[in-house]
Amino acid sequence: MKLSGAVLLLAPLAFSQPKPPAFDMAAVERGRVQFKSSCGFCHADDATGNRAPDLIRSALLSHDVNGDMLAPVIKNGRPEKDMPAFSTLSDKTIADMVAFLHKQAYDAMHSAGVPNDYPLAKLLTGNAADGKAYFNGAGGCSGCHSPIGDLAGVAKRYGPVALQQRFLYPSRGVKITATVTLRDGRKMEGVVVHGDEFEIAITGADGWYHSWKRSEVNVVIHDPMAAHQALMEKYTDKDMHDLFAYLETLQ
Amino acid sequence: MKLLAAILLALPVFGDDGLDPAKLLAPPSDTWPTYNGDYSGRRYSKLSEINQSNVEQLTVAWVATLRTAAIKSTPLVVNGIMYMTTPDNVWALDARNGRTIWHYFRESQGDHIGQRGVGMYKDWLYFETPDCHLISLNAKDGTVRWDIELADPKLGYFATMAPLVIKDHVLVGVSGDVTDIPGFLESIDPATGKLQWRWYSEPKPGEPGSETWPKGTDAITHGGGMTWITGTYDPKLNLTYWGTGNPQPVLNGDQRQGDNLYTCSIVALDPDTGKLKWYFQPSPHDTHDWDAAQTPILFEDMKNGVERKLIAQANRNGYFFVMDRSTGEHILTKPFIATNWAQGIDSHGQPRPKKEKEPKPDGALVSPGSDGATNWMAPSYDPGSGLYFISARRLWSVFYMTADSKPEGWAGRDRNLWAQSVIEGIDPKTGDIRWQHEIGDGEGAAGILTTAGKLLFTQDNSDNLLALDPGTGKTLWHVPIGGRMVASPMTFELEGRQYLITAIQNSIFAWAIPRKN
Repeated sequence: MKLSGAVLLLAPLAFSQPKPPAFDMAAVERGRVQFKSSCGFCHADDATGNRAPDLIRSALLSHDVNGDMLAPVIKNGRPEKDMPAFSTLSDKTIADMVAFLHKQAYDAMHSAGVPNDYPLAKLLTGNAADGKAYFNGAGGCSGCHSPIGDLAGVAKRYGPVALQQRFLYPSRGVKITATVTLRDGRKMEGVVVHGDEFEIAITGADGWYHSWKRSEVNVVIHDPMAAHQALMEKYTDKDMHDLFAYLETLQ
Repeated sequence: MKLLAAILLALPVFGDDGLDPAKLLAPPSDTWPTYNGDYSGRRYSKLSEINQSNVEQLTVAWVATLRTAAIKSTPLVVNGIMYMTTPDNVWALDARNGRTIWHYFRESQGDHIGQRGVGMYKDWLYFETPDCHLISLNAKDGTVRWDIELADPKLGYFATMAPLVIKDHVLVGVSGDVTDIPGFLESIDPATGKLQWRWYSEPKPGEPGSETWPKGTDAITHGGGMTWITGTYDPKLNLTYWGTGNPQPVLNGDQRQGDNLYTCSIVALDPDTGKLKWYFQPSPHDTHDWDAAQTPILFEDMKNGVERKLIAQANRNGYFFVMDRSTGEHILTKPFIATNWAQGIDSHGQPRPKKEKEPKPDGALVSPGSDGATNWMAPSYDPGSGLYFISARRLWSVFYMTADSKPEGWAGRDRNLWAQSVIEGIDPKTGDIRWQHEIGDGEGAAGILTTAGKLLFTQDNSDNLLALDPGTGKTLWHVPIGGRMVASPMTFELEGRQYLITAIQNSIFAWAIPRKN
């Protein structure tokens, strides 16, 4: 019953974008500087709005294709809304600003994710000494793991956000085993290939696949993840951050 | 037999007018004329040919494999014809053998995450598309009568839900959650496609409810609250009930301090005018993507000799809510999984969120994760056992708030750690969980059907189709079907024979008790 979780947890993202557009990052950066100097005072440096509207959420930017709608507004202004004209800006400068705005909007639309290179500085808010005490004490981690054994250098093996995920629930690479007692009393052990309400299947010591109806055998599952599951309801966020700070010291 | 069948098929139950909307008030047993089978949202069928005594004999009557993405819809069945959908696609199938009568395809841009089904009015079908159009098709041949845009897809709108027909109104909702846009529900004239009314999920500045948003900012006009899933309807009270989606930006509420009405709410509207009669908000100031779009089911019970008209929802946030559906008066709030995000239940019956469990730059460990303690999979209510059934999950996740400046769009995301799923039978009188049937690790995605045959149909996370005893949760029948059900089962009767329909990935399996040919 504790299988196939890893596969099922890969829930589809809310928005499927076929291919990310190729941004000219040099143009985006030039546009960022220019936007800040010409527009930031009213629209905020990041274009999210201040005394003038948030452009990231604007219909104008949503409908713009390569400046076809934005450029005329920048050049001519919107006198009826007190927006001045920026008629002296070159077409190239305006194109840079348009590139910057599209990159800002793209980032907002694709902010439903935590990048794998998420910075350590953001995650490292805990106290390593408290984390070490939790590891050896209340958390019970030292019962299965050792900083000079399986966890030696663990912070070098995983990026920060991956390390935080993995110590909480290392779903990949963990093997669940079962002891199956047959009706005639024979026992078979092996890595579980499939288990549900109705059937159990293992790879036996002989290397072959074996399966039985659950009703025909007695099954004892050995799940090394059980301790991690039990901790979910016990962790405080401080425990989690302290433990992470401690594990980050295992370089 | 063949002659009889031909005669029966030649005599449409609804006469020459396809589906008379008046028939939706009491659907005959040979039809499933709306997303939930009827207006109550119960997904309970009075059919009992398939029952506890013969369920083990269930056999495949027909299979139809469609060239398409996974089916996430519930088909309609009217006059022996089944109408099934996936994004961009509608099929009319012969309900006796699954053969295609016609297929409509319209390629579109936009989010193809899912399509829940069509609505029907007389001879016309109503179909929503990934680019947020509503299309009226002729049910006879799949030709287009009209095609209207519900909302601008360039702004981030798309559409997935199955329209709800009430009298001379086609109620349609919209989807979208990657940009900060307002949600709404609207009523369309079934003949002309003209707008009858539109209700926005956010009040206008100054209106009641607007005090739950910051003053002097644009937050309220970008507040989200999508109408993802078909609502329910009480014809006597003439109220239609809908769950609204999460507020925007999704994982950060700093720019939208307050409860953010009417996002994450159950709302009761007059279907003739779109006027709000009452609301209840299960997740005030949500920052975890826990929309309240789960079907709010209507049922009755007796208290002190008086019948109560009730409405209940098992919410994505992990709590089960019961209200009086005439007034919205709160009756009951109870968790159906272990949660850690609420500081308690307030005097209105709302769980109040803990500030420290909002998404954080260094992560906050929260149950449930954003996929929810339950989600769009259909729940069911069985008047026989008096229980409310849901597909629930124990789901732990770390929520990160990643935005460095003003949060927009999602502004972060959670990473799932561990999920376990369970079918639960909840006693709506007390909120107590009467039984739990474990269906395995991972997130269950199959809906639930109950029948007068004292059967509950669903699927476990190991691709086994299940029939359970609704009274006890015990397994009565199962089949390893070799694929996932990411839809909800349904049933109908044709030529005196009961069929059970289960969509497995892109194949439809019709089940029945064996008959001699």
